[in-house]
Amino acid sequence: MTGTITKIAAVILLMSFCSCRNSNVRQGGLTFPVADSVPAGEAEKLSEEAVADIVQNIASPVEIASILQSMQVPFSAGYLAPTQGADRLTTNFQKAVMLGIYGADLGYLNIYGKTGNSVDVLSVIKRLADGLRVGQYFDFETLKRLSVSKSDLDSLLFLSVNSYNQIDRYLRDNDRGSISALMITGVWIEGQYLATQVALSHNDEILRDRIGEQKIILGDLLMLLRPYRGSSEDYGSLYGMMEQISTKYFDVKVSYRLGEPETREEAGRLVVVQHEESIVEMTDAQLAEIATLSKEVRNKLISGN
Amino acid sequence: MKNRLFILTIVLVFLPLVAAGQPATDDLVSSCVLASGENTTYLKDFRVQLPKAAQDAAFPVYKANMYLMKNMKYRFSVCDAPGSGGELFITLFDQGKEIISSYNSSSGKKFSSVDFICNKTGLYTLWYSFVGGEQGSGVGVVCMIR
Repeated sequence: MTGTITKIAAVILLMSFCSCRNSNVRQGGLTFPVADSVPAGEAEKLSEEAVADIVQNIASPVEIASILQSMQVPFSAGYLAPTQGADRLTTNFQKAVMLGIYGADLGYLNIYGKTGNSVDVLSVIKRLADGLRVGQYFDFETLKRLSVSKSDLDSLLFLSVNSYNQIDRYLRDNDRGSISALMITGVWIEGQYLATQVALSHNDEILRDRIGEQKIILGDLLMLLRPYRGSSEDYGSLYGMMEQISTKYFDVKVSYRLGEPETREEAGRLVVVQHEESIVEMTDAQLAEIATLSKEVRNKLISGN
Repeated sequence: MKNRLFILTIVLVFLPLVAAGQPATDDLVSSCVLASGENTTYLKDFRVQLPKAAQDAAFPVYKANMYLMKNMKYRFSVCDAPGSGGELFITLFDQGKEIISSYNSSSGKKFSSVDFICNKTGLYTLWYSFVGGEQGSGVGVVCMIR
């Protein structure tokens, strides 16, 4: 009897170890039932440190939406990616890109407090995350409850952004950087689409600067995707499209004006104002071209073709 | 034998489900976000765990690179884990140049958060370390100030 109990305890211990979600221990020996498109061995692997260097905050699902809200741009459901048809996504490539796109849409909805509309998006995100076997990081029931009750927008924003961060961290820690790169690209392209579409109808310097500054970020995004571009037609095509957007930025100029930071203490908190400045020069024609191509790429990714 | 097989089956089937039902966010991150104050929106968190500095060696540092954007205000908060030996602080660098630190080693003054009003979009480096090179664990949270 003691032997049986010991064996059961050993099995429990082993299972706990295998199912420990927040473990930083790499699970190199495990295989995922739904294989990712890029086996780790096939991609030209970036070092863990290099990937970590690249990915932090390349694309935030809430920053663009926050700028739009501060500009008092009215919310428009027309900018959201359709949720119908998400069931038809079959490959991990499609699921990961769309997980990013819907993540940016969720940020847009939540920043504007349109939480009632976000339940559909949440359901789709949950299905996609489950399909990629990262659904455990998405506390769907709490998010849904917060969305429906509209009681605590800050908690809703925190939980949704934190879920994406945890998914991203888990993917990178478990040799699934290719999926993380797709998700980040999805967040980026949807934010870019949103920003450029609004910029075409609202002439706002801060928003234009933000679009122009993507020249800096796009280089790193391409670096993130580059190791996987030869692994399948889908990755190759995505890389090609992102490269095309990058070429539209070729003549956009980003320069810097030097200045020393100013430090002060306010209400017991240290505050630093940066006086060094980045300056973007982008013509209307350049903006229009970037907006058109960004929309084309985003719509192509949504259509799955 | 049948009983043992039954128990094993139950364990194999239900344990992963129990694990999957655990809360998705850890408490230290949540409380640190809460401590960041009102009118902030959470962007990122960094879980830091560092050993004690060896004698005559540089303090251990957790480094992370992060894009910060012009016209945005950021709040960097640090929170120590219960039982942490040292106190966590953050130093922000722009291309190797120190911009801000939540700890002043000459005065010994330490802030639990610092605000950064960003005017230059770019890749910044965040250094997390423990005062005096002590061993410790904690969380660094980055929020956007609305």
